[in-house]
Formats: sequence, C-alpha cells, structure tokens
Amino acid sequence: MTESGAQLFARLEGRRCLKDIEPHLFPEDGGPDHGEVVELCGTEGTGEFTALEAPVCLNCTAHLEPVCVSGKTELLYHLLCRCVLPEAAGGLEVDVVFVDTDYSLDMLRLVSILDSRLSTALSTSSSSAGSEEAALRSCLSRLLVVHCSSSSQLLLTLHFLETSLSSRPSLALLLIDSISAFYWLDRCEGGASVAKQEEKLSKCAELLGRLLRDYRVTVFATCHAIRRSSSGPAPSGSYLCRPWQRLVTHRLLCSRQDPAENMAAAARGSREQRRRQVFIVRCTSSSSSSSSCSMKGFRSSSFCVTDGGVEFIGTSSSQDNEQSQ
Amino acid sequence: MVVLREGMCPGLDEGLLRDLRAADVKTVEDLVSSDIEELAQKCSVSYKGLLAIRRVLLAQHTAFPVSGADLYEELLSSTAILSTGNPSLDKLLDSGLYTGEITELSGGPGSGKSQVCFGVAVHISYRLKQSVVYIDTTGGLAAGRLLQMLQAETSNTEEQMAALQRIHTFRLFDVYSLLDCLYSLRSGGLQQASVGGGSVKAVIVDSVSAVISPLLGGIQNEGMSLMIQVAGVLKTMAKDFNVAALVRVTQSLMCSALNARGISSVNPNPSQDTSSSYCFET
Amino acid sequence: MLRPVSSLCLSPSVKLKLVRAGFQFTTDLLHLRPGQLSAEAGVSQQEALQVLQAASADAAGGGVTALELLQKEAELKSIVTFSSQLDEALGGGVPVGKTTEICGAPGAGKTQLCLQLAVDVQVPRCFGGVEGHVIYVDTEGSFLLQRVVDMAAAAVRHCSLLAEDEEQRVAMETFTVETILSNIFLVRCRDYVELLAELHLLADFLSARPKVRLLVVDSVAFPFRRLLDELSQRTRLLNGVAQHLITMATSQHIAVVITNQMTTRLRGGQSQLVPALGESWGHAPTIRLLLHWEGPRRLATIFKSPSHMDTTVQYQITADGFRDTEQPELPQSKRRQT
Repeated sequence: MTESGAQLFARLEGRRCLKDIEPHLFPEDGGPDHGEVVELCGTEGTGEFTALEAPVCLNCTAHLEPVCVSGKTELLYHLLCRCVLPEAAGGLEVDVVFVDTDYSLDMLRLVSILDSRLSTALSTSSSSAGSEEAALRSCLSRLLVVHCSSSSQLLLTLHFLETSLSSRPSLALLLIDSISAFYWLDRCEGGASVAKQEEKLSKCAELLGRLLRDYRVTVFATCHAIRRSSSGPAPSGSYLCRPWQRLVTHRLLCSRQDPAENMAAAARGSREQRRRQVFIVRCTSSSSSSSSCSMKGFRSSSFCVTDGGVEFIGTSSSQDNEQSQ
Repeated sequence: MVVLREGMCPGLDEGLLRDLRAADVKTVEDLVSSDIEELAQKCSVSYKGLLAIRRVLLAQHTAFPVSGADLYEELLSSTAILSTGNPSLDKLLDSGLYTGEITELSGGPGSGKSQVCFGVAVHISYRLKQSVVYIDTTGGLAAGRLLQMLQAETSNTEEQMAALQRIHTFRLFDVYSLLDCLYSLRSGGLQQASVGGGSVKAVIVDSVSAVISPLLGGIQNEGMSLMIQVAGVLKTMAKDFNVAALVRVTQSLMCSALNARGISSVNPNPSQDTSSSYCFET
Repeated sequence: MLRPVSSLCLSPSVKLKLVRAGFQFTTDLLHLRPGQLSAEAGVSQQEALQVLQAASADAAGGGVTALELLQKEAELKSIVTFSSQLDEALGGGVPVGKTTEICGAPGAGKTQLCLQLAVDVQVPRCFGGVEGHVIYVDTEGSFLLQRVVDMAAAAVRHCSLLAEDEEQRVAMETFTVETILSNIFLVRCRDYVELLAELHLLADFLSARPKVRLLVVDSVAFPFRRLLDELSQRTRLLNGVAQHLITMATSQHIAVVITNQMTTRLRGGQSQLVPALGESWGHAPTIRLLLHWEGPRRLATIFKSPSHMDTTVQYQITADGFRDTEQPELPQSKRRQT
C-alpha cells in the first residue's frame, strides 16, 4: 500500500505523546508513551453504601447508590476530558476515539464535567455563554464514538479504524470501554476449548499491537472485575487472554476507600460531606521503552468525585525495583 | 465470526469462495486480517478486486464512528425525564427516570420495590398519557392493585380503563422468554405497543434477577453470558428507542453489567413498624 | 441490534455447532431452509427445524394490556380457608394463579392449613368454590390421612347444611369424603433430587388432569436441609424451583401453596425468628403468610403481598380444621408494603 506524506507524518511524528496526561496518576515521567497500553480496573463494590436518602413512603426509604462503585468510570471521563479540552483550559487538545462496547457512555455526565472544566478555565478571561457553548462543541467534535456489540465486530471495527488513525495525526488516544465486555459471551460461544474462547480477543489484541506500532497512539482500556463462581473476584485483568496482557504496560486499579472508615466520617459530617466518597487508584507500570532495565513504578493516589468530575486529594509514590514488593 | 458466503458482496462468487477456502480464509475476519497482496496471488484474482471486496465487507460489518458533538445534539433533542409520581423519589433521581438510561431498583423482600414499579407504571400511563411495557417475571403483577392506585387518582372509570390499556404486560418466567421478548420489542415490537396510545416511554422489568439467578453460580458460563445479553439488549433498547428502563433486581449483582443508576429501597425491621400505611395514596 | 444465536432457547451443544459453523446471529439463519442448515451446521433435521423456529419467533405479540389482565384476574377465583377473617384479609382466600408461602415454627399449623386447603379447593362451584383437584407434595411425611378425613367430613357437613336449591343438592351427591380423597394426588418426596424431578414431571401430569387447581409443597425447606453447607448451589436450585412454581401457577391457573420453616437470625446481638431459606428465596413467593403464637392465641399475618394490606388475624385449629376464633376480634394492625 502506498503512503502519502501526510500519512507518514501522522504515523511517525505528528502524534502528541500522552505522557503528561495526568501527573497525579503515574510515577514521575512514567506516563504512557506512544504505543503504550493502560488498563483501568475496578474492584467490585461490596457492602452497603448510603449516598442519599429519601423516604418513598411512610416507613420505607430509598437511597441512591453511587453511579460508580469503584470510581473507574469517573476516572475514565476525567482522562477523556483532559484529552479533548483545549490547551487554554488545561487540556491536551487531541482527538479521541471512544470504543463503547458496554453501551455505557454517559454523554450527559461527560458534558457536565466538560462544562465545569471549561467554565473554571474561561471565567478568568471575559467570555459569553455563547463562546462557552462553542468551546464545548469543539471539545465534543474531537471525540469520535463507536459502539460495538460483539468481539468480532470489535475486531472488524479496529481494522476499519486504521483509516482514521492514518489520516488524522491529531488522533492520539483510543479508549476501549471495556475490553472485557465480551468475555462471557466469548467463553460461552467458545465451548469447552479455551483457545476457542480466547480466539477473538487474541486477534483483537494482535491487531491492536500492530496498530500501536504503526501509528503510535496510546490506548486506555477498562476491564471489569469478574466474579468467579467460587473463588471470589478474580485479580483484575489477569483473566483476559495472554496476548492482551502482553500489551498492557500500565495498570490502574481503582477502589473505594474502606467503607467503615468512610462511615465514621459520614457520621460526623453533614449530608453534603457524606456524599464525598474517597476513591483510591493504584498505578503499576512496567514501562519498557524508557529504560533498558525493567523498572517498576508504583504510585497510589486518592481522589473524590464532585459534580465537576474527579478531584485529586493526595498522592504517594515510590519508584523502586521489583524487590520492594 | 461471520462466514463468507456467495453473494455477500459483488465479486464474491463461487469460484473465488472455493479458492479462498483453499487458502484457509473462511470468514470475513480471516479475509480482512490477511495480507491482500499475498492472498490475491494465491487465489489468482486481481489485487484491486480483492481489495474492493475487503473494503465492502469491512464497511458492511464494522461499527461506524459518530462524532461526540452529533451524539450530544441528538441526546439534547431526544432525552426526556419521566417523573415517577413520587416527589421524594424524583428528587433522589434528579427529577425522575431519564429516557435512554437504565435505573436499577434493589432491596430486600417486602421492601416496596414492586410498589415503586406499579406506581411508576400508573403515573406514566395516567398522568403522562404514555405507554409502558411491564415485564413481570415473578408473578407479582396484580392488575387489581394497579386499578386501586388509579382509583386513588381519578374516579372516572373510562380514564382508569384507558390508563390500564396503556400498560402492556408480559409475564415471562425464564431468561430465554425474557430475551425473546426484549429482542422482539427491540426489533419493532415497541412501536406495535405504542399503537392506540402514547408512545412507549418506559420499560419496566420486575425482576431481572428472578430469571437470572437460577443460572448463576453453576459450572457453565451460560448464566453470565445470558445476563450480559439481557443487560445489553436493555441498554441498546433504552438508547435507541429513547425509553426509560426501570429494572428491579434483588441484589446489585447486575450493577456492573447494566451500568445503571441504582436506587435501593430499604424496609426497616418489619416487626417494628406498627400501624402505618404505605403510600396507598401513591 | 443483531441477536446472538447463543441467546436462543436451544441446547448448548446445538448452539455451539451453529457458532462453529459461522452462524453467530439470528439474521444469518433467516434465509435458510432446514435441510441447508442441517448440512451446513452438522445438526439433525429436527434440530435445524427447532433452530429456525426459535430464530424467527416473535414474542412481542405475547403481551396483554393491564386491562385484559384485570379481566383475567377477575375470572380466577380464590380458595377459601374456612377462616372468614383470613379470607377477608387475603381478598377472598388463597388466590389461584399465584404462589403463596406459609411460614411458621413447628406446630404453628402450616400443615393443618395445607390439608384444609386441599379439601376446600374441592368445594363445588355452586357453593362458591373452585371445584378443583389437588396435587399434594409431602416432603416431611406429615400428611395425615385421618385429619383429611375429619376435615373433609366437616366440609361436607357444612355444605349440606347450606344446600338450598336443586343444583346444590345434586352437587352434594358427588361432594363426599370419598370423592374428596380420590381427588387428592399425594406425592411423597424424600430429598431435593426427588422434589426437583417431581416438579419437572408435573407439567405432563397437569396437562393430563386439567382440573387440578392447587399444588401444595409441604415443605420446600426440608428436602434442602442437606445442602446447608453448599449455599450457592442451594440458592441456585431454590431460585430454579421458585421460577418453576411461578410458571406453573400462572400458565396452568393453579394456586401454588408452599410451606417454609423458621430459622433464627442474629442481627445486632438480637436473635430474631425469620423464614428459612434466606433472603433470595424471600423474593419468590407472591404472598407470604406467617403463622405464629402470641401467648395462647394463634395468629396469621400477611407480611408480603403486592395487592393486600398487611394484616394480622386470629385463628384456631379445631377437630373440624382451620377456623375463626369465637373470641372478640383482635385489634387489627394494618400496613401496606410489597
């Protein structure tokens, strides 16, 4: 196949690196480089958690459970917003493809986060409501959404996206929410043979590997915690096929802060504070590109979720060799 | 995997199909993934011809990207918020059930979940004059109770009957029947249910766990796979037809699959509460 | 959206063959004839036919409006309990087409009520009864023939006293203790495997005997006691049983009555007597009735029902069976909930 100058440029030079996508999350200088894959996992929520209560009748109450049990979705939207926001609003101003395999993209939520970020950033400069609306549209136009309903469709769609990748140098991020969406369907359709069960995702992972090498985009993919029949939740991500696991360079594990601790805080705090649930995200990266020896970085940060999206509270990091574990 | 068939696209004839099979290319995925130049030589067809076939097949089977700005535009024009008829519940849900979304309702036995479902159905059919699909999987749906709630709203018998006619009920007691029903509704049944009343604005499933839980925990993967499929068809139905889905579950086991907003109703210790009446006036 | 073949109600092996042959979605099947499909997927002609039928079925037409449902509900009668207070609380008795659970500690009168219902369901139509037959699944060995004979004799006596017109007198000729006994089909199940097998065979039995209007399972908890250690398996099996019973109640228009034992639950340092089999089972029955003692008085409480007030009534068990008490009425506590 022939390649135009623009395509070659897009492929090799033009793409923005996402190493600085969120300094809070990744170890210093350890953010995802060109062609690297970040997996976002959440632990499955356990226990009761009361966010808000309202009486539905005289002696029954209903409470709204938080939309996100582990904060994973909120974190994803945070990263997505950071990418599509203009540089003036602290964003990276790059194009993003959102592959929605769970049919879970909550556009209204995304817009409300973008809105709040834009209004904070633009309030300093004099701006009208119209320009804010225009800024929002231009953010959203940097986002491409594609819905997939089976793993074979995902595979074909990734093939199809190759054209977009080659023609749009501004496209820097591919989000897959989630990579584990078809896990059970594939297992069921694969019958008794593990190779058959994993065949489709393996092919997707192999193709992704090639696209990453050729076009140097960064991939963020979410992964559900999976309840195994007997042994409780499986270690995040590790149940997916080997070819996928080999691609992953950074792993972000989100979880809710110990509910007991939180309850104690809730008892003291007002209703408003009670909503402030703290989430913890732990980053493990095994970046091979930056240094020759296999360095492992850890970083743990905590954040809470407000109407305007994720707000980081604190971080603690350590960058050690593997022995530290 | 989609098997290659004659007539799938122009140029894909019997002879080529045979040659492709001989080259171990049986499915669309195989063809799309293979090196077209090499394959063209093996099958002795023109490179350009085969490339065209690949392009057509890919376009037929891929999902197309949509710009976020367009999605948002569409959402703004189509999203409606349906009041549940219960002010405090509405407040909790940011003014009600959103079309295009799934709201999950959970709680212990006898905590008022079915009553909430009934109340929403009655409110949408009577107050909002829109149709509702009510899928009952536990045998708990009592039309007599719906009538009772309507009687509290109006004494006009004709209005009561009209409201009852806008509630379409399905009684299904296993997961396959539920899937049959949901897929049928998705492929046109929803419009059918709209005939003779407002359009269908809400689909209530009371409850999903009743049909899923007999399948979970076994050695087979089927239970999880079916659960994901129920969640998937509900989500796409809610989005594509712009209806609000209210789903009753017994535990938040579906939460991750549904990606739903969850409300859970809590019943204080049943032995403690004495004489009080539970929202009889709705 | 395309419907995956794996979501069809077919045997797993057939579905696997279809997927292997490249038929992933129902749309891949629609243009095929059974012969073609059989050859391409390596399934039998019979299976191919089933596949095509399942793939093209349209279930959306199967619904009815709530108005039609209301009319259907009105046609279904309830089985009287012979305690007028309990009947009133239940809106006429134990409803046909629904599942009702009777919970209570040993000796509270669960079996007595079941036996009573087995007799009552046979009351002729002209006396306002259901005039149906009974399947009685006894898992505890507590079915006492002599008690049924006593209750049947009392019911016959009661009706013959009420008989006024010719139709009722004719009906009384066939409403005897003998016919009552001959219309109770007793099944003894010793463990949960037998119970599950019996429930699966019941569909055929019911289609051969369309007059059956009541299915009693006394009790559902007992046969599962051996599975106490394997909670997840027990829960799964019980959930299956629940769906099975609900299906039968609705599709065959029979009242399903099951009994359940009580168990102690510790919550916050306090022990509390709650129905056995756990919370997930609690969602299964449409109506839950609790029989309990308060001092010397026997009380029945409806504590879960989508269409009734929560009510407590007093009852007694006499030689004739389940009856009202003659004592002054208990102050009724009413509460509405699911």
